[in-house]
Order: sequence, then structure tokens, then C-alpha cells
Amino acid sequence: MTAIPTLLVIILASFFLMRLAPGGPFDGERPLPPETQAALQAAYGLDKPLWEQAWLYVSRLVQGDFGPSLVYRDFTVSELVAQGLPISLTLGGLAILLALLMGISGGLYAAARAGKTADKTIMTLATIATALPTFVTGPALALCFGLWWGLLPVSGTGEGWSWLIMPVVALALPVSGAVAKLTRAGLATVLKQDHIRTARARGLSETTIMFKHGLRPALVPVASYLGPAAAGLLTGAVVVETVFGLPGLGRYFVQGALNRDYPLVLGVVTLYAALIILFNLFADLIYGWLDPRMRDE
Amino acid sequence: MRALFNRNHWPLWVVLALVALALILPAILPWTYDQIDWDAVRAPAFSGSHVFGTDEIGRDRLARLAAGTRVTLMVAVAAAMVSLVVGIAWGATAGWMGGKVDEAMMRFVDALYALPFMFIVILLMVIFGRSILLVFVGIGLVEWLTMARVVRGQVMALKQRPFILAAEAAGTPSIKIVLKHVLPNIAGVALAYLMLTVPQVVMIESFLSFLGLGVQEPLTSLGILVKEGADDMDMTPLGLLLPGGLLVLLLICLTIEGERLRDVYS
Repeated sequence: MTAIPTLLVIILASFFLMRLAPGGPFDGERPLPPETQAALQAAYGLDKPLWEQAWLYVSRLVQGDFGPSLVYRDFTVSELVAQGLPISLTLGGLAILLALLMGISGGLYAAARAGKTADKTIMTLATIATALPTFVTGPALALCFGLWWGLLPVSGTGEGWSWLIMPVVALALPVSGAVAKLTRAGLATVLKQDHIRTARARGLSETTIMFKHGLRPALVPVASYLGPAAAGLLTGAVVVETVFGLPGLGRYFVQGALNRDYPLVLGVVTLYAALIILFNLFADLIYGWLDPRMRDE
Repeated sequence: MRALFNRNHWPLWVVLALVALALILPAILPWTYDQIDWDAVRAPAFSGSHVFGTDEIGRDRLARLAAGTRVTLMVAVAAAMVSLVVGIAWGATAGWMGGKVDEAMMRFVDALYALPFMFIVILLMVIFGRSILLVFVGIGLVEWLTMARVVRGQVMALKQRPFILAAEAAGTPSIKIVLKHVLPNIAGVALAYLMLTVPQVVMIESFLSFLGLGVQEPLTSLGILVKEGADDMDMTPLGLLLPGGLLVLLLICLTIEGERLRDVYS
């Protein structure tokens, strides 16, 4: 229920932050004549009092109108977002799937081999993975697979889906490390509980115990990490889109912020915030499925 | 103290060695980080006095690495300190006061956790002129949340301990109890989380610098060096691999050491 107020606070905070800034969207190489400046300001409603502008913005936003872009003059923000969003969503969605796949299976295997070499190796790899920033792995991957070995395209979207591989891997690596650690830690706690001992006493195989009785409750910490993970993936996507020259939302955000394209930046921030809040809600729903004891709360 | 010399603590020694190098090298190298050697533009490694060669405008790579590491670590320590101070003040107040105050303060922290903070920081950087001071204040203000949660939990647990109750019964003023009896007892845990904050901060600072929103030229940082290297990697891969490798090594060592400390205290 807190989703809507949170979103509103984020929108308003970003709105006023942007406007506090010195400089505006119409500062070019050559200063415009004052009359032109004033006419432009009036045309975009920038001459009205700030509160009125904020109110106008929010009331239009509710109707799905993000306003015009001040820098890409021929486009509305909605059009730019419609171009960028599919790319960013594909990147982020695939990255989180890959991260969950690698992380959960890694964590599961490590927990099954608890205390052995495999466990230690996987956990060390997970720690290393969490410390790999996308802005290092992205260019490094591009250097190896793109420039040296020529296996994958270095930039742009191009044909087929091979352009997705490197950006998705760079994004997924740090998240997969964190997921592996959380899965491993979750399993370590769950496997000590009574229902597992009962399952063992009944003579069930280790595989059945792990997958049928251990894994589900052990994934609760992973679910609570989904929200921060989504935020991390979105910030990572900003870098990955810049590195690999992909026309996603992240690039519009950085470009827009540097050019003081107020509506564009606000639109992207609003979308990002909505996505993150959605992800948190989704995580709340998953809790109940993972651990039925939490449904009543 | 002896535990530090255990060979399991190699990550700590790597970090200390890198810190020492970053501090000493600029003093003994023949080149400064912003000095251009016109006779050796894009010099390969081990040519003349340039151990790692020079970049695309003839600046010594090793000198730039040392200077960049120094700035990155400086920002990291300063920002981690900001998060430490704010986090302890907030968490200790909430934990000590309890009740409604605690609930309100922690709700606030929960709400902030849900925000896409990176974007607010990016906006801040764009708006208020990208000064190095703002970089660490901005990052510090993002990173205090976990510290506040941890400290609050610790304070609440301590509050029930006999020696605190005894101090209260003896009429010691609250502020004195918190400062003299509570805070020293949470120092270990706070230190562990401070260690874990440092790599986070390093990552955020490099991220901002990479986007051109953090530390500004002529100052340099590891993030800027990675960015420069990435732009020029088809000509000289070394320009990307050196700062990238150094940054990753630093992050890995700090993370391993931080997690180890945290596990000791929890």
C-alpha cells in the first residue's frame, strides 16, 4: 500500500532536485537572445511557478503523458521510453534469470558438499563474482570476445541475439554471486531444522530432501534480495548500455541528466522507481509461496 | 594483533601493500600523473622510465595508477566515515529510545532502502557540480542505512544487559551511558560493517567516475582510468586491463576481509 506514496515522493524529489540545478536545457554553445529564451521557456511551461509545474507534471503523468523531450525536440518522452524500455527490460530480465540460475544451482551444490573443496571453491568464486563491477567486466569481455577473438559483436544490437550475451553476462555476474551466497546460507539454516531431520529419518534420498524440502524455504533470503538486485541491475544497465552502445533507458538517463532534459530524466526515474517497487511487491508475493508460514503475517 | 600475521589474512596485506604503493610511488616516480611526455606518446610497457608505458596523450601509466588509487581510496575512506557517523548516530538513537521513536526512525530507513538511490546520487552529481567533496558526502549518505540497522539491533540487545541496567539504576545520564558504555561495545561490529562499506563505496565512486559524474579531470581515479582504458582498448588493452585488474583486486580483497570480520562478530 506504500507503493503509490513512495513513487510520488521519488517523482517530486527528483523534480525539485533537477530544478535546483544551475543551467537549463536551452544553454547551447551560443547563448540564445533573451526573447527566444523566454519564448522557449513559455512554450514548455518552464516560466510558471515551480509548484504549479510539479502539479501539472504529476497530473499529466497519471494520464500516461510523460511530456515532450526538451533536447530530442522531435520526440516525446513516451516515444523515447518506448524505444528504450524493451531493450532495458530484455537485458535486465535475462540477466536476473541467468543470475538466479547460476546462483541457486551454485549455492545448492555448495550446500550439498558443505565443508568440502567444492563448497569452498564455489563460495570463493561467489565472493569474487560479487566484487566484479559491470564497468570493468563489460569492457573486459568486449576486449576478449569481441576484439581479440572476434566471436561476439562489440557494440549495437545487430542481427540475431548474439549481441545480448556479453551485456547479460556482465550484468548477471555480481548478482549471481550474491544469490549463491544467500542460497548457501539459507540451506545451511534450513537443513538443521526438524522437518529435514524427519525427512532423513524416513529414509528419503538426499536429492529429494534438498529439492523437495530444503530448497523452497531456503530461498526466502534470495526473494528478499530481489528488490535490491533489481535496483542493482538497473544501475548496472546504465553502464552496460553505455559500454555496448545499446539504445536502452540507461543511456537516455545519463544523456538527459547531462543535457538537463528535465522531462526525460524524470520519466526514466519514474519508470525505474516503478520497476523497483514492482519487484519488491513481487518479492512479497513469492515469500508466501516459498514459506507458507509467512502467509498469515 | 598476532592474528593479523596469519597467512589467511593475505587480502588485508594486499590492500595494505597497495595503499603503501599508492602513497609512496608518486614521490619516487620521475613522472607525475598529469605530466605529458611528448617524446613517448602511447609508449609500450618497460620503455625508458615508463614501467607500464604511457597513455594516448603521453602520461605515465604507473603514475596515473598510483594517483588514481590514492583518490579512490581517499574518497572511499571519507565516504565510509560519513556513513559510519550518520549510521551510528541514527541507529543508536533509535535503538536506545525504543518505542515510537524507534519505529518512526526505522520506518524512514526502510522507506529509503526502497528508493533507487543510485539515480538520486547521479542527479545530485549532475546538479551540484561534481565536486570531490560532494562525491563522498553523496555516497556516504546512501551507504549509512545498513550501518543504522546493524547498530540499532546491537544497541537494543545491549540495553537489557546487567551493566547497562546497573548504570541506569545508579542514575547515570542516558547520553553518558550511550557514549561510555554502549558505543564501545558495538565498536567491533561497526568496524566489521565499515570494512564491508568500503568496497561498496569504491564501487559507487568508480561507477560515477566511469560515467563522467564523479571525480573530475585533472584529478584521476580508478573509475576514470577504467573509462579511459575502455575508450582506447582497441589500441592498447593494457590501459583497460591495469586499472580494471587493480580495481577488481582491491574490491575482492576488501570484500573477503570485510566478510570475515563480519562473521567473527555475528
